[in-house]
Amino acid sequence: MYAYILRRLLMLIPVLFGVSVVIFFTLRIIPGDVAATILGTDATPEALAQLRKDFGLDLPIYEQYLQWMGGVMTGDFGESMRTGKEILPDISSRFAITFELTMLSAFISWIIAIPLGIIAGIKRNSKTDFGVRVVSLLGVSIPNFALATVLILVLALFFSYSPPVGYVGFFEDPITNLQILFLPALVLGTSMAGAVTRMTRSSILEILRLDFIRTIRAKGAKERVVIFQHALRNAMIPILTIIGMQIGVLLGGTVIIEQIFSLPGLGQLVLTGINQRDFTVVQGSVLFIAFVFVMINLIVDILYSYLDPRITYK
Amino acid sequence: MAKNLTAILKGRGTLNTVLDIKNLSIEVNTKKSKYNVVEGVNLSIGKKMKYGIVGESGSGKSLTSLAIMNLLPDVLKVSKGSITLNTEKSKELTKLSKREMQKIRGNEISMIFQEPMTALDPLYTIEHQLLEVLKFHTNYSKKEMRELGLDMLNKVGISRGKEIFKSYPHQLSGGMRQRVIIAMALICQPKLLIADEPTTALDVTIQAQILDLMNDLSETHDTSILMITHDLGVILETCERVAVLYAGQVMEETTVEQLFTNPSHPYTQGLLKSIRSLGDHKNTLYSIPGNVPTPAQYENMGCRFSSRCPHAMEICKSKEPSMYTVEKDHTSKCWLHEEEGVAYG
Repeated sequence: MYAYILRRLLMLIPVLFGVSVVIFFTLRIIPGDVAATILGTDATPEALAQLRKDFGLDLPIYEQYLQWMGGVMTGDFGESMRTGKEILPDISSRFAITFELTMLSAFISWIIAIPLGIIAGIKRNSKTDFGVRVVSLLGVSIPNFALATVLILVLALFFSYSPPVGYVGFFEDPITNLQILFLPALVLGTSMAGAVTRMTRSSILEILRLDFIRTIRAKGAKERVVIFQHALRNAMIPILTIIGMQIGVLLGGTVIIEQIFSLPGLGQLVLTGINQRDFTVVQGSVLFIAFVFVMINLIVDILYSYLDPRITYK
Repeated sequence: MAKNLTAILKGRGTLNTVLDIKNLSIEVNTKKSKYNVVEGVNLSIGKKMKYGIVGESGSGKSLTSLAIMNLLPDVLKVSKGSITLNTEKSKELTKLSKREMQKIRGNEISMIFQEPMTALDPLYTIEHQLLEVLKFHTNYSKKEMRELGLDMLNKVGISRGKEIFKSYPHQLSGGMRQRVIIAMALICQPKLLIADEPTTALDVTIQAQILDLMNDLSETHDTSILMITHDLGVILETCERVAVLYAGQVMEETTVEQLFTNPSHPYTQGLLKSIRSLGDHKNTLYSIPGNVPTPAQYENMGCRFSSRCPHAMEICKSKEPSMYTVEKDHTSKCWLHEEEGVAYG
């Protein structure tokens, strides 16, 4: 097991190398650069050239890459070209927000989706099942931004409620922090719940058809034991897969939701970085997101082996 | 063979029954269609008796056993008749609540299924799955359960019980799993054990071991066995009485000895003829011509075997025969018995 984890961690090297190459060169292909965005359209060519030289943008591309990579290897992600501040502390503080939002959303999605999926699976083709299927399909198909906008409007118009403005960290003021994050988490959670409900339903249905469920019933098990101890645990693998993917995507930052609820998360950082051609910020963030994504996948794979004794890694 | 038969017959002869099935019909009920797949089945299984149901796939033998356990799939239900379990008191199983039925399953009636490879939950250890039965039905402490479990594994021929306890199903062979399943079925000392093709999925060498094991254990535990199989050899080896099921009806019901020495129903005769015995050097096996009718065709077809029967008469195609007593302890559902002096075989 440990050998397996170590091998998976070693695989990070080629993955991150690939990601770094792609993001580095893509950024340099898109037109415009940081010097132009800083100095504006009226800047003289001399001033632009000077600024580019300051940022090292006049060097050959491979040299720029090597310089950047050299820094990253030693843990130095560089400074923002706009603010001159170090990038890594910024990424990690924003990641904390995105992480909290993701976990909250995931939690909301599970408490909605898993019970609904189980009920729909047990009462297949009933009215309840039909209702759950319609609602979960809606959850999957309604775009986040639409749901978010409607939610904000309805709460403001009919309940005169609006979430606190400005971001407050969890450790400063947990209650305000949760108030701020609750609405965006609810929006993300419900849309995640759609997919998880559908997966739970179909997975439970499939398991309930298997022979061993009949054996367990023949042993005199109560329905509660049949469903929760045996069917659900067997159904968890595909559910876990989809949850892992969702969390991986969300941890990369949810640009639109962060914009709507003005949360200073990772998505926002990347977006402003791209708009301002702040290369170092975008490169650093993307590399970080790729790293997180791989780690989440590794965690999911390790969880598989805890769930299912047939899965072993050597 | 004769020696074997007399040995088998010794155990017979109690009038007390553990299970009585009277006029049982099972119905498919979907929006599109509604018909009986099992019709008018009567069976009485005596205490400590080993009773066999033999039939082809689709004859309704498995459905009958699932009906006893009240585990029929959703689209099927018992539409007529009664299933009475006589343990301390008589219970009409078709009328019990879910809860009451759960107390009977695994405790008073157990069932072994055909496929040992898929009959165990892949995610739990053998210990969990074996002791689970005790947890459902008894109040033993954990330690007592463990002891009982190890003892039971020992009885089914698994000596390395502690090791097997920690194993998961995928780590065991088919024969081992079937032993574990038998241990699970017998750990609460049920009065009736239903075995639905318990050896079909196993290697031939293991088959005999498993049948012997079931025989021995049922004797030491005073358990009756209802053996469901398509294999007349298994019936001969294990059972005392037998019912031949065809197209959802009992065609012939008698002792195993009479079935093999004096089969009365043309279907049974056909079945026996299609067994190849040692020293039989014919190149082709006998097979009954034609196909089993589908449940949708059952209605108005007279005798359900008539389309394949070598003795079929006019009346067979239009009117269903009733059950005739052809000799003591021997009934057969065939028009031939209506006339005297018919030559059989």
